[in-house]
Amino acid sequence: MIRRMNCLMRLHGIYPNALCQRHAPANNRNYANQTGTPDDERAAGGNQQNSKNRTGGGGSKSLPVVRNPFTAAQEKTKGSYLTMVEIFAGRDVHRRNHVEFIYAALKHMAEFGVENDLEVYKALINVMPKGKFIPTNLFQSEFMHYPKQQQCIIDLLEQMEDNGVMPDYEMEAMLLNVFGKKGHPLRKYWRMMYWMPKFKNLSPWPLPDHVPDDTLEIAKLAVKRMCTVDLRSQVSVYETKNVKDAVDDTWIVSGMSAEQSKLLREHSQKKALYIEGPFLIWIRNRRINYFTLRADPDLELLASLDEQERQIDQDDVTNIEVPFFGRPPPRRHNQLGKVRSVHQQEDGTIFAICATGTSTKDSLLSWIRLLEANGNAALGGIPVLFRFTSTVPAKAVEIEGASEVPVPSDSRSKQNVRKSKIVKFNLI
Amino acid sequence: MHSLLRQTQRLHCLAPGGAMLIHTTATQRTFWEREKKSGYKTKLPEPSKKQLIVDGFRELKQEIKLWRQEVEEHLVSDPILVFRPGETDVVFDFKAPDALDKWTVTTDSDHGEGKSSATLELSASGAGLFHGEVNSEHTKDGIIKRTGYANIRTKRVRKSFKRESTYDWTQYNMLVMKVRGDGRSYLINLHTEGYFDIMWNDIYHYVLFTRGGPHWQIAKIPFSKFFYSSKGRVQDRQGPIQLNRVTHFGFSVAAKKGMDGPFGLEIDYVGLEYDPSHREEFAYEMYKTQKYIAAT
Repeated sequence: MIRRMNCLMRLHGIYPNALCQRHAPANNRNYANQTGTPDDERAAGGNQQNSKNRTGGGGSKSLPVVRNPFTAAQEKTKGSYLTMVEIFAGRDVHRRNHVEFIYAALKHMAEFGVENDLEVYKALINVMPKGKFIPTNLFQSEFMHYPKQQQCIIDLLEQMEDNGVMPDYEMEAMLLNVFGKKGHPLRKYWRMMYWMPKFKNLSPWPLPDHVPDDTLEIAKLAVKRMCTVDLRSQVSVYETKNVKDAVDDTWIVSGMSAEQSKLLREHSQKKALYIEGPFLIWIRNRRINYFTLRADPDLELLASLDEQERQIDQDDVTNIEVPFFGRPPPRRHNQLGKVRSVHQQEDGTIFAICATGTSTKDSLLSWIRLLEANGNAALGGIPVLFRFTSTVPAKAVEIEGASEVPVPSDSRSKQNVRKSKIVKFNLI
Repeated sequence: MHSLLRQTQRLHCLAPGGAMLIHTTATQRTFWEREKKSGYKTKLPEPSKKQLIVDGFRELKQEIKLWRQEVEEHLVSDPILVFRPGETDVVFDFKAPDALDKWTVTTDSDHGEGKSSATLELSASGAGLFHGEVNSEHTKDGIIKRTGYANIRTKRVRKSFKRESTYDWTQYNMLVMKVRGDGRSYLINLHTEGYFDIMWNDIYHYVLFTRGGPHWQIAKIPFSKFFYSSKGRVQDRQGPIQLNRVTHFGFSVAAKKGMDGPFGLEIDYVGLEYDPSHREEFAYEMYKTQKYIAAT
């Protein structure tokens, strides 16, 4: 009851406060929806519109300027974000509307590029007054003392969890100072500290914390990842500049192992190879197209392996052969069966994987030529066919769209100019 | 939580001008739930009485057949008691006929809460292909915080005459899957639906990381790694999964952290294995916490 009275008195401006005098006092300032104060304006780098408002409405009866400091900020950096938080914390001893402020700050984190920054989250928790929300008796701790404030920090922690930001022990100390050891945010924090380290490095194909933006780097990561199936795989990056008759000037990331080269050498020249694709692979939140070089499955080998397996199956008592009658069973000694390679799958034999900068037929042809030149001479005699799952342009020029004036294929200089544009295309 | 909000909203609709309820937080006043779908049960048009009778008799025939099998199995009484290590027993085989009938596909767009789409069909290589597109965009109605998921789940395992039963996987300790993914990580869900409403949403989860690329991948995941959660929240009081209580099996995929877009998971089979070298019962430490802190 006393607290309620205090609140009412504060709302009606009984306490002298410099900021309250400037603004209409009974207005509930909400940062999540358009609100602001002159201090924030300074942090935001002085918006012209606002300076106008200040001169026009300062001290008069007109309504206060409502503005969100986070949307109005001109310079959207971590520095300006932290300055705004600092100004809010230092402006007023009561730190009114800090819950709304924190919610607004959380909402605009991505714009400032700070959603993965632990320091910023800590700065926001630091806005909370220390010691005020600690329950002093059993009933308070049982019935979620200061629920709005607690829920606000729980939401903050949840946002951290969603963005994969792991808290540290300093944050625990801060939360203890604010909510005491029975606080619900503390429980959330402990849960996070229990589970997040367990899941952080769970993936058998670890990726860097910040997946690079460069398509070539993503392609390298993707091809390396796909090639983990065979430890002897070699990932090489080629440039198509050196290839004869190549139209596109781009890069090719190719993955192939010694075993695949051997399989290619043994492949019959009468059976065609297929370049298939484009398929999709995700590298965390980036995706990239890749193509495979494969042939139809070697059914004879697979059948013979099946037979071997069937011979090995000692459990099968349904059909026991009696050796006294009929043909003698084949002798087992000196028989070496072929071992099935990991690349010989039921739905085809995979010889190589690649990702190119342009994902065009021309770059794929260059890839085959490069493979042939780099230790796979057998490719020269085998017919290679395209088998696409979606339309793949013949040349990089076609990617630009039909509205473009067709460029003669020999104008190499123009191709170079467009390269940067084209590279992005692969990323979709 | 959404369902609770929905229910409370419905209550408000029923009694306008009643006691003003100002929610500071989404408080859960009761554990009681009306039905298993927690407010997500869509009312489907009921067929005519005549149709129901006709369908009933048609199904009766199959149910009797099923019942006969059960009785025969019971009389023959030839259960497998020793599970040899290193052998994979296939539970869900996508190369079997009518394999796709066992599964249900759900997305957030089913209830108008999102824009994801997904299908489960047979791929060119004859395996099951769970593919589609997940999208985290949604209508900002103030209730739904985030969306973007697609999910497949097997139908409830049952005995004849529509009696519900459970899988009994107690002899095994590994889940073996032959899959071909797209580099995304998928969530494996083992539902252990209980009798009481509080246990209706019990699910044990673990992550299936896929390599991507054209090669098949065999993932072996011990059951001890699965952790317990309910309605998407990891629970404080953990424990190893009770393998004789498994009711459904499924995979989920989400559009989280900017992973909106197409996905594709090709599944050849899901099997079980007993690995004697794996002695772990539960992979997570069970700390003793202070009173009134955990599970509150």
